[in-house]
Amino acid sequence: MEVKLDKQYPLDVDAERAWQLLADLKAVAGCMPGAEITEQLAEGSYKGAVKVKVGPAVAQFAGQVDVLEMVPAERKMVMLGKGADKGGSSATMNLTAVITPDAANPAHCVLNGTAAVIVNGKFAQFGGRMMVQVSDMILAQFVENFRQTALSLPAPAAAGGAAPAASADAPAPAAAPPKVAGELNGLAIFWALVKGWFAGLFGKRA
Amino acid sequence: MNAPAQTAEARELALAGMGASRLRKEDARFIQGKGNYVDDIKMAGMLHMDIVRAPVAHARIKRINKEAALAMPGVHAVLTAEDLKPLKLHWMPTLAGDVQAVLADGKVHFQMQEVAIVIADDRYIAADAVEAVEVEYEELEAVVDPYAALQPGAPVIREDLAGKTEGAHGKREHHNHIFTWDAGDKAAADAAFANAPVTVTQHMHYPRVHPCPLETCGCVASFDPVRGELTTYITSQAPHVVRTVVSMLSGIPESKVRIVSPDIGGGFGNKVGVYPGYVCAIVASIVLGRPVKWVEDRIENISSTAFARDYHMDGELAATPDGKILGLRVNVVADHGAFDACADPTKFPAGLFHICSGSYDIPAAHCSVKGVYTNKTPGGVAYRCSFRVTEAVYLIERMVDVLAQKLNMDKAEIRAKNFIQKEQFPYTSAFGFEYDSGDYQTALTKVLDAVDYKALRAEQAAKRADPNSPTLMGIGLVTFTEVVGAGPSKICDILGVGMFDSCEIRVHPTGSAIARMGTITQGQGHQTTYAQIIATELGIPSEVIQVEEGDTSTAPYGLGTYGSRSTPVAGAAIAMAARKIHAKARKIAAHMLEVNEADLDWEVDRFKVKGDDSKFKTMAEVAWQAYHQPPAGLEPGLEAVHYYDPPNFTYPFGIYLCVLDIDRATGETKVRRFYALDDCGTRINPMIIEGQIHGGLTEGFAVAMGQQMPYDAQGNLLGNTLMDYFLPTAVETPHWETDHTVTPSPHHPIGAKGVAESPHVGSIPTFTAAIVDAFAHKGVTHLDMPHSAFRVWKTLKQLDLAL
Repeated sequence: MEVKLDKQYPLDVDAERAWQLLADLKAVAGCMPGAEITEQLAEGSYKGAVKVKVGPAVAQFAGQVDVLEMVPAERKMVMLGKGADKGGSSATMNLTAVITPDAANPAHCVLNGTAAVIVNGKFAQFGGRMMVQVSDMILAQFVENFRQTALSLPAPAAAGGAAPAASADAPAPAAAPPKVAGELNGLAIFWALVKGWFAGLFGKRA
Repeated sequence: MNAPAQTAEARELALAGMGASRLRKEDARFIQGKGNYVDDIKMAGMLHMDIVRAPVAHARIKRINKEAALAMPGVHAVLTAEDLKPLKLHWMPTLAGDVQAVLADGKVHFQMQEVAIVIADDRYIAADAVEAVEVEYEELEAVVDPYAALQPGAPVIREDLAGKTEGAHGKREHHNHIFTWDAGDKAAADAAFANAPVTVTQHMHYPRVHPCPLETCGCVASFDPVRGELTTYITSQAPHVVRTVVSMLSGIPESKVRIVSPDIGGGFGNKVGVYPGYVCAIVASIVLGRPVKWVEDRIENISSTAFARDYHMDGELAATPDGKILGLRVNVVADHGAFDACADPTKFPAGLFHICSGSYDIPAAHCSVKGVYTNKTPGGVAYRCSFRVTEAVYLIERMVDVLAQKLNMDKAEIRAKNFIQKEQFPYTSAFGFEYDSGDYQTALTKVLDAVDYKALRAEQAAKRADPNSPTLMGIGLVTFTEVVGAGPSKICDILGVGMFDSCEIRVHPTGSAIARMGTITQGQGHQTTYAQIIATELGIPSEVIQVEEGDTSTAPYGLGTYGSRSTPVAGAAIAMAARKIHAKARKIAAHMLEVNEADLDWEVDRFKVKGDDSKFKTMAEVAWQAYHQPPAGLEPGLEAVHYYDPPNFTYPFGIYLCVLDIDRATGETKVRRFYALDDCGTRINPMIIEGQIHGGLTEGFAVAMGQQMPYDAQGNLLGNTLMDYFLPTAVETPHWETDHTVTPSPHHPIGAKGVAESPHVGSIPTFTAAIVDAFAHKGVTHLDMPHSAFRVWKTLKQLDLAL
């Protein structure tokens, strides 16, 4: 089953720091709930794992991530992730992520992601119709983690056009990266889905 | 031993023979939970099997690691194709002349394909060990669309067939092509179209569905290494054919193979085939020398054992401007999945699809069916129908409606105009079928009068005129003919065995009897109805007649129960065997009464001397004499065997009418009325017939309104649980009204035609016709199934009819 995602997330982070984080795949993986990079195979090629917990069942996807393209001038990164779990599911994701500066506010930027995700096996069979909602949830968690991690990076040194107010407020560069959830928690996802569904219902009526 | 002095009528009633609504003998044990199904069977030392299945539809197997599974306590064996290779059992022949991997041999062809088996002490350990078997796959591009499969650059599904240009049914044109099968006269049909004033065409897809019987498939295989004998309890609709196949595959002499079909919880075609699971359990029992049980779960059942239908059909009709049909052309692309494992008579790769000229006198017709491989589950069984007859009836009934709409004719009128007339029977169709008997017009008139068809059409017209009507009203009418009772062995065989069926009757000294049959009941009530045939033929009360089926060691060889063949074929065998006994009984009675046989009359349960009512011998008295002191020159005993090879198929028919209302706000459909008139010839047990019709209509409702097996582009089956797959309960099921006419089959010994499948075959196009009819005034000629509320609502939206 294939799901196409096309998302824009406005961030209160300047484009420089956002790109700095995006270019570091290992750090990006750290922002993905439940994901980690376990081994570097070559330049731009990594082994990784994602753990998803739904109630008592844990699915552990093991796989490989390859950076296909890295264009600093456009702040663009293209990657291909492939993984499978022992219980008979597999997934591939072809993702293009681009950071675009916010023209109106240099301290802000937009994280653009377009992805084609193909899921096979049990996840597709039993979770297929929830996939869009679940990916939205996971991506929302990811973006929040990404935002916090990017904000914790040292502010760009005398970046041309950086708002002075922002520099003044910038915390000490040594701020520890925020703690992110260690695994995808099925119950939390489920709760968020239910909330989202109700919100949608009432939203439509309003 | 003298029978009480009762009138002939009273004695006939007491027999509870043909025509009696006798209560089902089977039900006492079923409603008490005392049935004996495969999963009820427990044997000493029995082990359990579970199957490692492929998560993806198309892949190469790079590596299988059994170590972790084998290390688990309670696991006895893990077998893969490599282990079956030395036994030459990693592939097996299919009923359709193809081969199928028993366990994936280096390559996976469909999702949920069998990759390895685990044998363990219990089902739970086996299931845990399945998770521990590590299989590494290299995924390949999957092909799920049969049209895409035939493109020049399409991925090769069956690498094992590389270079094989000749299939079981002629030339293969493409690496994913199985066969092209033609019937009828193409030149004559083309000529009819070339000169026709009116033509219509319609494309339609009959979705892939699953019979989904309540009991899933399974077996208990028990090989006795000391005696060299194999006994297998199995969910099979054709145990004798399974015995032959098992003997051929295993090399064990057929005399040492015993196949037993115990109680079967519904088959509907799902239990005709020989599945990899059965073969694996048998191999495991032979290897381990212990009984091995395998029972699939619901997901496995829907995903991996025999689907039905999946026909992409293009129909064309040529006609005169006043609606007389001149010609029919049909082209079908048939999605058979990854292996051609259809269950059809050998010479008919598209079954009896060429019954698609229906109840109509069509002078020229041609059809062509192209079988195609895709990365989907193999199958293509007759789901509660005779081979592909459901598809054929759907096609012609839809096409007649399309023509009626084009000509602005009434849908009942156009049918009446094209019916094969009563006096034309026996009628030979353009496809070569010889229809035995029928009276379609009488039946149609009866139905139209019963529902007041004119008033319904008037009500519909009024609703259409009212833009504020909250509902759309649809009327579906179908006038179908089936072809069942396969079949004459000169044209019908399964793996070379002719499609006869058999019966052995033994009348015991005290006048009770046992009948053993080559068929096997799966809910049809054979134990009840077969006894009624014997009761009427031999004058023995049905209550004291035992009917046994399903054990190949005791029953005579038969081809089994599917395609509504039990009554047309085995029912005839019963009557013929009974008549052999009757002939011998007459000789004995003549001897006892000291008259010539010609001086005897038969009356209900006795032979009477002509002209003297006081001189008679009942069948019970004759039976005693047969064992006590038979006449000189006659063998003792009173029994007979008959193998019946039918001279022709039988052709039951029906007229179905459905009225439904579609909620314009939600797309939900409410069936207001469903009137089903069936003509199955002579009726043996009206109560069982009605029950069969209710069941068939309900399954038809299920198919039309909700059942489907949706695959995504990667070959994932997205609906293989009962949460997704629609099985209607009493909540959803509409109320059924049934009716009948009786037009006996002239070539059948008791005139019976078979009935259980008619309601399924006939009702499905009736629902579609009614749904389409609701939108007909907007120019809609066809809508594909299933007619779920969401899909109907989408149509409402498109046509700007949604409220």
